[in-house]
Amino acid sequence: MDSSESTMDTITQDEAELYDRQIRLWGLDAQRRLRAATVLLIGMKGLGAEVAKNIILSGIKAITLMDPNNIDDEDKMSQFFVSSAAPGQNRAEASVPQARLLNPMVTVTSDTSDPSEKDDNFFLQFDVICVTCSPTSLQCRLDKLCFENKIKFFSGDVFGFYGFTFADLGLHEYLHEEVKMKKPKEGEDNSKQTEETISTKEKIVFTRLEDELKFDWSADTPEMKRKLRQTPSAFFITRVYEEFLEQHGRRPHLKTIEADTKELQNLRIQLLNKLGVPAKVVPEDFFQCGFGELSPVCAIVGGVLAQEVIKAVSQKDAPLNNFFLYNGVNDDGFEAKISL
Amino acid sequence: MAAIMNGVLEKSLLENIKKSKLLMVGAGGIGCELLKNLVLTGFTDIELIDLDTIDVSNLNRQFLFRKEHVGKSKAEVAKESALKFNPEAKITAHHDSIFSPEFGLDFFKGFEIVLNALDNRAARNHVNRMCLAADIPLVESGTAGYLGQVTVIKKGSTECYECRPQAPQKTFPGCTIRNTPSEPIHCVVWAKHLFNQLFGENDPDQDVSPDTEDPELTADAGQAALATEAKKDAVGGIERKSTRAWAMDIGYDAQKIFNKLFRDDIKYLLSMETLWKKRRPPQPLDFDCLPGKGEIMNTSAMRDQRVWSVQECADAFTQCLSALKNDLNSRGENGMLVWDKDDHHAMDFVTCVSNIRAHVFGIPLRSKFDIKSMAGNIIPAIATTNAIIAGLIVMESLKILAGNVSKCRQIFLNRVPNDRKRLLVPCVISKPNPKCYVCSEKPECNVILNTTKITIRILQDKILKSHLNMIAPDVEIDDGKGTIIISSEEGETEENNDKLLSDFAISNGTRLKCDDFLQNYSLNINIVHVDKLDKEKEFEVVGDMSQFQPKEDENGKPEGESQTNGNVPSTTKAKPDDDEDDLVLLEDDAEEEISKSPGNLSRKRPAEPSEDESLIKKKKHDVAAGDGEEVIEIS
Repeated sequence: MDSSESTMDTITQDEAELYDRQIRLWGLDAQRRLRAATVLLIGMKGLGAEVAKNIILSGIKAITLMDPNNIDDEDKMSQFFVSSAAPGQNRAEASVPQARLLNPMVTVTSDTSDPSEKDDNFFLQFDVICVTCSPTSLQCRLDKLCFENKIKFFSGDVFGFYGFTFADLGLHEYLHEEVKMKKPKEGEDNSKQTEETISTKEKIVFTRLEDELKFDWSADTPEMKRKLRQTPSAFFITRVYEEFLEQHGRRPHLKTIEADTKELQNLRIQLLNKLGVPAKVVPEDFFQCGFGELSPVCAIVGGVLAQEVIKAVSQKDAPLNNFFLYNGVNDDGFEAKISL
Repeated sequence: MAAIMNGVLEKSLLENIKKSKLLMVGAGGIGCELLKNLVLTGFTDIELIDLDTIDVSNLNRQFLFRKEHVGKSKAEVAKESALKFNPEAKITAHHDSIFSPEFGLDFFKGFEIVLNALDNRAARNHVNRMCLAADIPLVESGTAGYLGQVTVIKKGSTECYECRPQAPQKTFPGCTIRNTPSEPIHCVVWAKHLFNQLFGENDPDQDVSPDTEDPELTADAGQAALATEAKKDAVGGIERKSTRAWAMDIGYDAQKIFNKLFRDDIKYLLSMETLWKKRRPPQPLDFDCLPGKGEIMNTSAMRDQRVWSVQECADAFTQCLSALKNDLNSRGENGMLVWDKDDHHAMDFVTCVSNIRAHVFGIPLRSKFDIKSMAGNIIPAIATTNAIIAGLIVMESLKILAGNVSKCRQIFLNRVPNDRKRLLVPCVISKPNPKCYVCSEKPECNVILNTTKITIRILQDKILKSHLNMIAPDVEIDDGKGTIIISSEEGETEENNDKLLSDFAISNGTRLKCDDFLQNYSLNINIVHVDKLDKEKEFEVVGDMSQFQPKEDENGKPEGESQTNGNVPSTTKAKPDDDEDDLVLLEDDAEEEISKSPGNLSRKRPAEPSEDESLIKKKKHDVAAGDGEEVIEIS
């Protein structure tokens, strides 16, 4: 994403009024960068709806909602754009009218095609690509493509009480701000401490999703044991669901809850064996809290994911590097990097 | 059509969700997100209270509202918008104040859980008391910028919202505002006072003229006497009538007002030489000869974003003075204006006045944008933080409905992960403070004051209502006779208002029994008489006398803050779940002013910079994380 001078034109009075409360937080420069950004959001289930809402409100330039699937029963409990719409319509298409209403200054379009069938070139028109409820293979393909073309890549998903987000911003530059208390001058009252904000430019290098997932857990060393202990359970739990999605081309569904539960239990053993990690990293009864998309979990994970998109676009503040892992069973919300 | 389907949640929990009735207090930033989550999660019986109406600056995050809704009731519009998510939900919207007697104990008892989505401390205190009285679990929350928190309050098992001393409202000594400003905020406060003096309600606490009783001057009695003499000369008797009457007499003439405020009064201040021995003396300005005169300003930058020259400020002063005068005149004989940050002329007035004063005192000038933050106590707010916090509110509510209150946590959303990589930090909720003056068995507190200076009116308005958040207190002296000094019944005790506490033989050690019928709250107050409190304080409320120590350690920290802070890593404060020394931040959503304060109910009070100014104490936290994390404390 290029924030050249041409896109850095002045914010209008209308924008200043509408975005007043956030400009006071992240400043005019960040807002200017946001209004120049074009985003592709793949997957319009509950998490997608939350992300779309949050970044449309923030005032990006344009967003394309892409989902080849139709609305189903599960959307009632988290996809608020279409929660009372009749099943059968395309999810992305049906979301557009409500999404547009959130902010008339943002161009909202839909695309009903299957992202896995899209040509590479299609993706190059975007500054940010955010992939939700899609198999790992698609995430990895688009991540690689994004890296090669300097596009900011995000992915994420929610399964019941669990959720994750991932970011690959390539080589990312950002402004870091630190508020320091100025020492009062001599002879002055201590109560006259004032704050000063010190800004520094920082750089951070991200890794690919594929490399993160290739991480070899098998070493029998104290370091590895510590790493296992420190890795949030939600990482392994969400990997089981991702494995399901990859192998079956669909998510576990309430309609097939019994069969899917068995399959999830199988995949837990399979996956953890394959990774070479002890089974206890994923509790045996994990599946009880993993069906559907819980609205509050979508709100939490979607809030974090959207804020990361905003950070990446506005080039302000250190991004989460690179997973965020949420486990609603025990209120955990961690940043994690697997390949260190 | 239940939103949640079988298999997602345990059956019994699902049943509880379906049959539970919830109360949501607030339909703003957190409220919009919360209502969406609740409806989608399958709650179908929700009551919603908010007094506020929709403003354009809400639309960047309060996603249930759109431009065409500006000016309408938040509660009503939120309800209509949320019904689209599940048309079968039953949502009752109240466009009303939570302090309204309509929402009494019986009302609160009708709910399974109360969810706060508030932006001010007064309302939080009140709902806290109502929920304690009704014994209904309360989920409390707040956001400020990137930061947020959620906690659960359950009578008897957790601390209540008022268990820990709340940081006092940030105020500035009168003499700093009137005589020796040293920061932009001092000038902004002065400018708002001037607005009220010229156009608004006259409040003797908001005098803008030089203060001859500055403690720095009274050190030298002779000097003070001289100063009093000088005052008469300098202002030629102007002081004898009110600023308002004088301004009206001269037709709000910009040049005359300017020269009085920024030339004559400043010259007079200069005559108080003691003040300027260690300070840069102010420099009087003359309306006809101002810096920036004749210069052409770079107008490509937005007017609100750049700092105006002094000449521009004077021009703006002339313009908004005339506009405000017309506005005032249109309101009839006893009409008055209430300062509002969203009123163009009122905001321009404060911008130019505070900048001209800043220039006089050699203080950096600020843009209108920045001054609006200060004058309007604006807390930045974004959709994502509110969405996350609203999600967490529902997660905690689900635990309550599953019968697992003990598993509830106080959860903090950090700006960056802490050193344990936690972005969300769950902490064990503290036990009730046995000496809490709200939730303990026999609520009791001490009020330190001078009984020969404090009137019954001050006791009622400033101490009981404003500070202790009572709505309509009844007070009797615990003297064996039960002398009633304040009655909530109108007309019963008004004649006492201007009498001093000492007139009722209230002295050191006297006990007052205070009752608030609406809140079902009784409080015993022990009077501690002192001749003088420091820092121009009229009184001080102390929950537990052991906390009250002579202020030898005065380092400018507001009272209570040091306690809150000091406790953070220790065991009395919220304890991280896994014994990490996570930093614990406290904050307050606190968006905007206290529009829902009890003041609106009983007594008109112009929105004051009382609430949020104190709440948003950003501080570098020096805990292990050491990453420059911002910490905002509530109370």
